[in-house]
Amino acid sequence: MTATPAPPPFARQLGQLENRDTLAARNTRLVPGDIVAVKVRRYDGDSGQASYHDFKVPYQPRMRVLDAMNWISENGTPDLAYRWICGSKMCGTCAVRMNGREVLACWEAVEPEMTIEPLRNLPVIRDLVVDRTPYEEKVAALQPWIERAAEYPGFPEPLTHREIKDASKALDCISCMCCYSACPVVGLGGFTDFAGPAPLVQLGQTALDPRNAPEKVKRSLALTGIFNCVSCYKCEEVCPAGIPIVSRVIEPLKAKAAKLLPEMVKHSLALRAVVAARGRVDPTALVLRVQGWRALLKFPRAIRLLWRGKINPVKTFIKTRTAAYDAAHRILGREP
Amino acid sequence: MKFAYYPGCSAKSTCAELNVATLLVAAKLGLELTQLESATCTGARELRAIDPAAFYKLNVRILALAEREGLPLMTVCNTCTLNVLDAHAAFVSSEELAKAVNGALAEEGLRYSGRTRISHFLWVLHENIGEQRLRELVTNPLRGMTVAAFYGCHITRPPLRYGFVDSRNNIALESLARILGCEPIDYSGRMECCGFHTAAHDENVAIKLTGQHIASAKTGSAQAMVTPCPLCHTVLDGFQSEMEKDISQKLAMPILHLPQLVGLALGFTPEALRLDRHLVPTAALKKYGAEANPLAERETPASHHQAREG
Repeated sequence: MTATPAPPPFARQLGQLENRDTLAARNTRLVPGDIVAVKVRRYDGDSGQASYHDFKVPYQPRMRVLDAMNWISENGTPDLAYRWICGSKMCGTCAVRMNGREVLACWEAVEPEMTIEPLRNLPVIRDLVVDRTPYEEKVAALQPWIERAAEYPGFPEPLTHREIKDASKALDCISCMCCYSACPVVGLGGFTDFAGPAPLVQLGQTALDPRNAPEKVKRSLALTGIFNCVSCYKCEEVCPAGIPIVSRVIEPLKAKAAKLLPEMVKHSLALRAVVAARGRVDPTALVLRVQGWRALLKFPRAIRLLWRGKINPVKTFIKTRTAAYDAAHRILGREP
Repeated sequence: MKFAYYPGCSAKSTCAELNVATLLVAAKLGLELTQLESATCTGARELRAIDPAAFYKLNVRILALAEREGLPLMTVCNTCTLNVLDAHAAFVSSEELAKAVNGALAEEGLRYSGRTRISHFLWVLHENIGEQRLRELVTNPLRGMTVAAFYGCHITRPPLRYGFVDSRNNIALESLARILGCEPIDYSGRMECCGFHTAAHDENVAIKLTGQHIASAKTGSAQAMVTPCPLCHTVLDGFQSEMEKDISQKLAMPILHLPQLVGLALGFTPEALRLDRHLVPTAALKKYGAEANPLAERETPASHHQAREG
């Protein structure tokens, strides 16, 4: 008997069925007796040499990436360096990259062929063990603690679920560094002052707490480079704790910055003003407003854009109101 | 099939060629588009962070305009798509928010009940036109054309919205490219970020992030890249010469908007699809235009209008 063909998926989910992109499908790819082909990136900190080593691991029911690593360690490779403590998604120490994706080794089913590598964006000490110091230094610099604006009112504190809703999401963080490894902006190294998703989540635990003094939050936020976040959601995609990092931590922190550090939020306020004045974004007006005289340095670029009809200075300078002006003005006319 | 059409700001300004190509291709596909003239910007990534209340009002208003027309909403920009999807989700999950937003919309006699279906043009091609009809309509199969699909972020992430465990598994663009006769290639940038959302204050992040992926597409022998998002296009096409300097490598990679690629396969000329409006020259793709293919049925905007009127 043949199985009933699955209904065609929603277009926005094309590839989920075809590529077994569901937890159920991923967890049932292998059966006992199968062999898992594992390739591990090994690195010797003393010699500075890195190389990939192949292992054939017999599949066992419900086998996790961590089980495969343990099997390798117990069967001929006792010097394979990797971290784990709890084995149950609590300690956040066993994160690795499996087939190019950040996973918790203790929580991820093995794949028939898998390449295991250490996390990115942190120095490798040996094999799969990374040095967490850069992250910890960043977190310490952000001073993720509460300095009360008011006297402690005694227990129980008058704190509502609504007031603490974003901070409580951030409190689910287990500091596994998956997001820190997945972040493309952190991947640019010291190119920007962006703190990265994991330190921002650590900061969010207290900065999004209404008991924290605005002055204290302001000091911390000034060090985050938070507007260098490109909103790619790579952090959310890999977070094993399921924290909506962009929408529930980074955006609420940006909202705090808008109130406490308006000079940091110039770009966002400029966009708001342009839309309020025109109904839609005029990219030239936005760039001029944000970059000011710096935009003049890009004169050759402006000429190229003009040549291809990409910008229209006449429209920009006579401030064309679009048919959307009335609505935009009504909604954005007031201060945020 | 009728849709309320929301092009967004980019397709109305820097990427006006996207709007042109969408309107041409939609007519050929039999999509009747109603323009929402008074629709505002969705607030990009900025408003949702610094002024969520206004963000919800602007986005739900767009959905309410579509609902008033009794039509599903079609978008052509990833960021707009995610914004309206997020606003819709927040609206239907919070009575309090729904009440506040509808209170504001009542000033102009609008009201949203949560019924508007939201679809990006890419999804419309798969869901409403379908593979079979598309194959019938392809009069100029783009045989031999290798394309690298650049999805952009907001059409495939966050996982809570689209459900991918690993967004790299998305195949919507590649399967479409095959239907059009192209050969999609694999490379590093499929699901990567173009960095557009930091570009207004500092384009260097976008340049650093994206140059390497165009280089990877080039190494993979792509003749063009295709993207469903005008914001990605702005970075990939508009900043490509800066990327070339940054990585000291000639890229010269033509970047196509999704409806431009579809339009070529449907027989429109590169000129009609306004491929000349890009910063990176697209002359290398001329050989795939219907004019260069003696077997292709040519489609020009004029002949199409005649056909419709006839």
